[in-house]
Amino acid sequence: MKSCKGFLALTVIGALAFGARADETCNSPYMARLIKGQEQFVHVWTLGVEGLGDGSDKLVTIDVDPKSKSYGKVVSSVSVNTRGEAHHMGFTDDRRYLWAGGLENSQIYVFDVGADPAKPKLVRTIGDLAARSGYLGPHTFYAMPGRMLIGALSNSADKGGATGMAVYNNKGEFVAKYDMPKGEIGGVKGDGYGYDLAINPAMNALLTSSFTGIDNYRRDLGDLIKDGEAMKRFGGTMVLWDLKAMQPKQIFSVPGAPLEIRWSLKPGDNWAITATALTSKLWLVRQDAGGKWQAKEVGTIGDPAKTPLPVDISITADGKGLWVNTFMDGMTRYFDLTNPEQPKQTYARQTGRQVNMISQSWDGKRVYVTSSLLERWDKAGADNEQFLRAFQWDGKELKPAFEVDFTKEKLGRAHHMKFSARS
Amino acid sequence: MPGGTPAAPRASQALRLAAVALLVCGAAAAQAAADPTPAHAPQMQFLPPAPGTYQLQRIQRAPDAVLLDWRGQQRRLARLTRDKVTLLTFFYTYCTDAWGCPFARQLMAGLRDQLLSRPFAVGRVRFVSISFDPTHDTPEALRLHAGQFHADDRLPWEFLTARRMRELLPLLEDFGQDVRVENDEAGRPMRTINHMLKLFLVDRDGIVREIYALDYLHPAMMLNDIETLLIEERRPRASGR
Repeated sequence: MKSCKGFLALTVIGALAFGARADETCNSPYMARLIKGQEQFVHVWTLGVEGLGDGSDKLVTIDVDPKSKSYGKVVSSVSVNTRGEAHHMGFTDDRRYLWAGGLENSQIYVFDVGADPAKPKLVRTIGDLAARSGYLGPHTFYAMPGRMLIGALSNSADKGGATGMAVYNNKGEFVAKYDMPKGEIGGVKGDGYGYDLAINPAMNALLTSSFTGIDNYRRDLGDLIKDGEAMKRFGGTMVLWDLKAMQPKQIFSVPGAPLEIRWSLKPGDNWAITATALTSKLWLVRQDAGGKWQAKEVGTIGDPAKTPLPVDISITADGKGLWVNTFMDGMTRYFDLTNPEQPKQTYARQTGRQVNMISQSWDGKRVYVTSSLLERWDKAGADNEQFLRAFQWDGKELKPAFEVDFTKEKLGRAHHMKFSARS
Repeated sequence: MPGGTPAAPRASQALRLAAVALLVCGAAAAQAAADPTPAHAPQMQFLPPAPGTYQLQRIQRAPDAVLLDWRGQQRRLARLTRDKVTLLTFFYTYCTDAWGCPFARQLMAGLRDQLLSRPFAVGRVRFVSISFDPTHDTPEALRLHAGQFHADDRLPWEFLTARRMRELLPLLEDFGQDVRVENDEAGRPMRTINHMLKLFLVDRDGIVREIYALDYLHPAMMLNDIETLLIEERRPRASGR
């Protein structure tokens, strides 16, 4: 039967090329096949620690399927055999590959998570970011059709915060670069700094935020805070871009280093939210009735006078809730976003002595927290807990499910998480 | 901002947008009779930038392969991705997913009608549809599937298939086009080939300049992109890959 042969051949393709899927409400909208049920694996991009295990950065994979015999256990650890400040990562549009960046060495590692998500493989290292773009510190990896949009933190000329976005195709070839604006648009002068980026395809809108350069983020935090001049070199802007044209349309003044950006995923919504690290505020970027984009402060996170340092945020799939992790006090807070103009904190719990990333499942029932912010900003001594902690969320209480101690397991500092599952 | 031909007046652009929206809605309405969850173009809450006012990225070179047309004649794909602006996609003739191949076909048919109404585009654009399933989608199956589309030289629409699967695989890999066969509960292959719907826009030099996934299939923007590449042809060649 001819058609059967065709099906068999295509089945072979499927077996070779597919398997990994992911959810997470912060993923690129260009990624297909959201997992709306139980994720099976959490991949953790982990900073190496000298003297701990092999001391190198590594992709750690944890089985998170409650039905599995290895639930809550590390099932894979893929070392990149060097230490370059592992930080963030992102799937390609087809979810077959996970791109992960080093903030110190500006290397980009491409892991195949499609063939078997339980056993990722390092298949490519891209080392020409600085040479091709002049940017350092690849931070955000955001899938676009057939290519990856990468938000960087710094530049190779002066190691400061002026930077931009680079585009690579899925083969790992450099395509284009776009500097963050330094001129004035709409009465606000750009600072040229970069951090996160996020796209709303229905609005043709790309939103970017701003942090600081390698001269600051690779410095000991205690020393940095005492350096008044250095503390001035943090981003205080967000930029709205025409995505198609890749041209900046508007610059917003958002003081205090606006970090992670989350668009509401509810169809028809026209707003995004972010948190400022240094001023501990929630800011809303929204199109007004006249079609003009506005950014405004809408809430406070903890006590800004104590600098709780909000780091990661995670929005619910319906856009009605937001998790916020604050590094210094180790708190995980939940904000009701029913009215995004007036977020209300409805829950808080200390989830660690230091906490950084937070990721929730699509259905919001499971929440994962990791501990590391940056190699030289993490706390010392007993406060330097390194972990992934999993929780169940019933809408009222975070209940611990399991924990992986990254120090005890000789893995390193646990940072960014991505979910996957066998199809 | 790059220079170019004067931007279309905003009112005219809005009319175009409305016309395309109507066209796609019409196609979706026709589909609705057969499918309770009809496909439609994604939400578009913006006015796209005018043709010629922006540059499309040079993403990658369009890969080559030897394929078969509806007559069973061998065709080199590289010759069908040069000298005109090409909109290329992968499909299979028996696809019934309202959000898959039928949607792409309706969308491309709508774009074709729009392009044929614009003198600057006639004779300068082609469409290419390549089957995922060379075993089932024979040249004869392609002929039946293509209907009247392949016969119009004003906007050629080439329907192609591979001679065998092993010749198709490298092409899919090079384009970055995923595909897998859906299995039933017993693990047996079903008549559904899952793939991420992608349309590739290729310039006259054979460079992929845009890739449209489902969330990005805004017909008005696609028309502007095609016109942008046609405008670009009249300018001095840009450097790059």
